[in-house]
Amino acid sequence: MSESSNAKKASAGKKAPARRKSAAKKAATARKAAARKAPAKRAPAVTPVSVLIVGAGFAGLGMAIRLKQAGIDDFVILERGNAVGGTWRDNQYPGAACDIPSNLYSYSFAPNPNWSRSFSGSQEILDYIHHLVAEFDLEKHIRFEKNVADLSFDEKTGVWTATTDKKERFAGRAAIMAQGPLSNCSFPNITGIDDFAGKKIHSARWDHDYDFTGKNVAVIGTGASGIQIIPELVNVAKHVKVFQRTPGWVLPRPDFSTPEWNKLLFKKLPASQQAMRNLLYWTHESMALAVIWNSPLTRIAERVAKLHLRRQVKDRWLRRQLTPDFTIGCKRVLVSNDYYPALQKDNAKLITWPIARISEKGVRTVEGIEHQVDCIVFATGFDVSNSGTPFPVKGRGGRVLGEQWKGGAQAYKSINVAGFPNLFMTFGPNSGPGHNSALVYMESQLEYALKGIRKIIGENLKVLDVKEEVQQRYNKSIQKRLAKTNWNSGCKSWYLTEDGFNATMYPGFATQYAAQMADFREDDYETA
Amino acid sequence: MASIDLDKMLEKIKSTQWALSDIDWDAPGAELITEEQWPKLKEFMADLMWIEHVGARAFAALSKKAPTDTLREIYSYFHAEEQRHANAEMALMRRWGMLDGDEIPEPNVNLRIVIEWLDRFADEMPVYVLGTVVPMLEIALDGALCTFLLETVEDPVCHQAFEKINDDESRHLGVGFTVMEMQGRSASYIKMVQMMARVMDPRLILGIASYMPLLNKMRDNVIAMGLPEEKLYKAMQKFERIGGRTEEGRRNPWFQLIKQHGRWVTNRSNKAYHVPVDALVKITGLVPRKALPAVPSWVKELTYEPVATR
Ligand SMILES: Cc1cc2nc3c(=O)[nH]c(=O)nc-3n(C[C@H](O)[C@H](O)[C@H](O)COP(=O)(O)OP(=O)(O)OC[C@H]3O[C@@H](n4cnc5c(N)ncnc54)[C@H](O)[C@@H]3O)c2cc1C
Ligand SMILES: [Fe+2]
Ligand SMILES: [Fe+2]
Repeated sequence: MSESSNAKKASAGKKAPARRKSAAKKAATARKAAARKAPAKRAPAVTPVSVLIVGAGFAGLGMAIRLKQAGIDDFVILERGNAVGGTWRDNQYPGAACDIPSNLYSYSFAPNPNWSRSFSGSQEILDYIHHLVAEFDLEKHIRFEKNVADLSFDEKTGVWTATTDKKERFAGRAAIMAQGPLSNCSFPNITGIDDFAGKKIHSARWDHDYDFTGKNVAVIGTGASGIQIIPELVNVAKHVKVFQRTPGWVLPRPDFSTPEWNKLLFKKLPASQQAMRNLLYWTHESMALAVIWNSPLTRIAERVAKLHLRRQVKDRWLRRQLTPDFTIGCKRVLVSNDYYPALQKDNAKLITWPIARISEKGVRTVEGIEHQVDCIVFATGFDVSNSGTPFPVKGRGGRVLGEQWKGGAQAYKSINVAGFPNLFMTFGPNSGPGHNSALVYMESQLEYALKGIRKIIGENLKVLDVKEEVQQRYNKSIQKRLAKTNWNSGCKSWYLTEDGFNATMYPGFATQYAAQMADFREDDYETA
Repeated sequence: MASIDLDKMLEKIKSTQWALSDIDWDAPGAELITEEQWPKLKEFMADLMWIEHVGARAFAALSKKAPTDTLREIYSYFHAEEQRHANAEMALMRRWGMLDGDEIPEPNVNLRIVIEWLDRFADEMPVYVLGTVVPMLEIALDGALCTFLLETVEDPVCHQAFEKINDDESRHLGVGFTVMEMQGRSASYIKMVQMMARVMDPRLILGIASYMPLLNKMRDNVIAMGLPEEKLYKAMQKFERIGGRTEEGRRNPWFQLIKQHGRWVTNRSNKAYHVPVDALVKITGLVPRKALPAVPSWVKELTYEPVATR
């Protein structure tokens, strides 16, 4: 997958020479090893590090920081791009920002007193990530442009080997899959998309060289990214047509810039920032009651969203077009103050006719009209696999994870899978938050993985494998709890597989999740 | 005839779409409209176009109400397809020089009343009411009127457009009747009583009151164009024939009701029905346009331009 030109720019000055040196050393070791076993058919063994991490986004880097803080320094991060940051490196479209307050959408073990707004923009989040890399001296551990294409476990040696698409190999005693839940994207499968002669841009691979001034633009998709991009485009483009399939629930966004005294307070008195974080945490926790389960609070949240719509949109028909017909929380709840007003500007138009096809000059909708544009922006989301793995993962006895997950992904506490020892997943099955910061969930995953890794290293284990029956028991209860949630209330979303199996979301409070992850039970595992 | 498979139908709908630009609206043949035909045809087309548009709005309501994902999606396509018919008919009117500048033709008062009713109440109507009324409207007004048109107009472009429109219509009817049968199959006694109770709903009475004169008005239009009114009635009897072809269809109380209404309409000697309804047509004809509220904004989406650049 090609990364955006912006990502290249961001990383240009950052490629540390240390990286080259260590890569060169590695290659030398590999060559030596190869020389020893010269005639052997099998690829030579690679000296394993303690921990092999796939992905240099928030998750992979967070793991690295926690390892360092715990005194484990021999780990390697494999990153297919040429810069760190994952989501925030890729999603640099105009208007990109987090929709969880920055004080909560950051690591508690590395707070940032300088957030400029309550909801920071993508660039500021990326800066924070770069700051983490610098502060914890992570660059030397990262191997860029290593696109992992296979991850296999050797039971005899107790070693995971990652093979890249260029057939380079890296090995580790424990492996962390931190390749991100939303890191792969492609243009949607709309008839005629290849016929379009104008410019095509995907929201997660923005082309910063394209000038929208004076252009007629179509935006396909009105999800989290779409509603952030649209107001920005309406400001610069000649005309913007927004193609919507399903309207989402939009809540007002209490966004404001952080006053200087506040930054100073956070700097001088870190406890005050922790207090702020706690307050935000509990506010979001209470949202769980509205978003996850169908409760009186759900109705209240829907009322707030409807009032927001009513206040911002006066035309009855437009309001009807923008009113969702599913329970709030069933899909990601959107937050925005400027989306509805943008749609009503003179140079914008919402189109709800189904798309029939894309033609050479634009988008044809079913009411028979061809909407001609210079550029189509696809804010159509990501390729998420909730019933497979992004690359083959092979565990004990050659079992393949993707095959085991055909009917829907399953894990123990979202992090381990029976038959795949010493492997930890961030953002694994049923770890998704619907109402709180992903990083809050991530932190508890990192702590859990750290406990497992310490055990592997400390007891010199070859195998730390969750017991099959433990995993099954866990999933039975998870699925039972999920059945009562809004996600499983009958609406289609990327949270569910084609058959409606929910392998994505965690049915509970972040606090519950944190409690479950804080509890590492040795006898849940088989060791060797 | 067995009911159709709705999932397959949805696939077929998606894969067989047409656009206004598939037709050359400037091709020769416009001159085949006779001078004598022209004024009546103009009024007829304006009404027809509005009926398509009204049908579109009814499908919009169904697309929110239908009981399954598949049906909801089918209806959202039908909503757009009816809009396409209205757009295509407007393109024909433009071809024939029937539009005053770029103006959308004014709907007649009966239609204005129906539009008003739909805008206010359609989304609140139970799905089984709309699901039955819509096929009736489709057959009586949409389907039948199109056939008449082709018998009087020789312009090949008109025939080309209506061939496409009629293909869409046959799918609308197929789905409409399948849904009526589905309703008949599941309607328990209690639900039937519920349905009947709905008749007393004042909003529904309003709807019926606006729908009845519309049928009579269209009958008058048809006669004015020199077509035998029996053809309209025959089309309405088709509703009775197809809708009542299965036990389930017949068991749908709404089918019974609409069918009965259709019989009244087609029986000119039924004075009890026609005298008051014709009077309503006359009265509504007298309603000054200014007295009606502003048209809802969905009406402004109509266009005869195959291509939109902004
Ligand atoms: C537009 C947008 C807004 C969001 N806003 C929020 C928010 O407000 N709050 C919130 O909680 N969450 C939000 N999220 C979710 C967000 O994805 C997570 O919060 C978090 O950033 C995920 O971090 P990650 O490290 O798990 O994955 P990523 O950031 O995706 O990082 C994964 C890394 O792995 C690399 N990689 C992938 N495959 C391979 C491979 N095969 N080999 C080597 N490297 C590989 C990728 O290049 C990438 O650098 C948002 C997501 C998007 C897309
Ligand atoms: Fe039609
Ligand atoms: Fe129709």
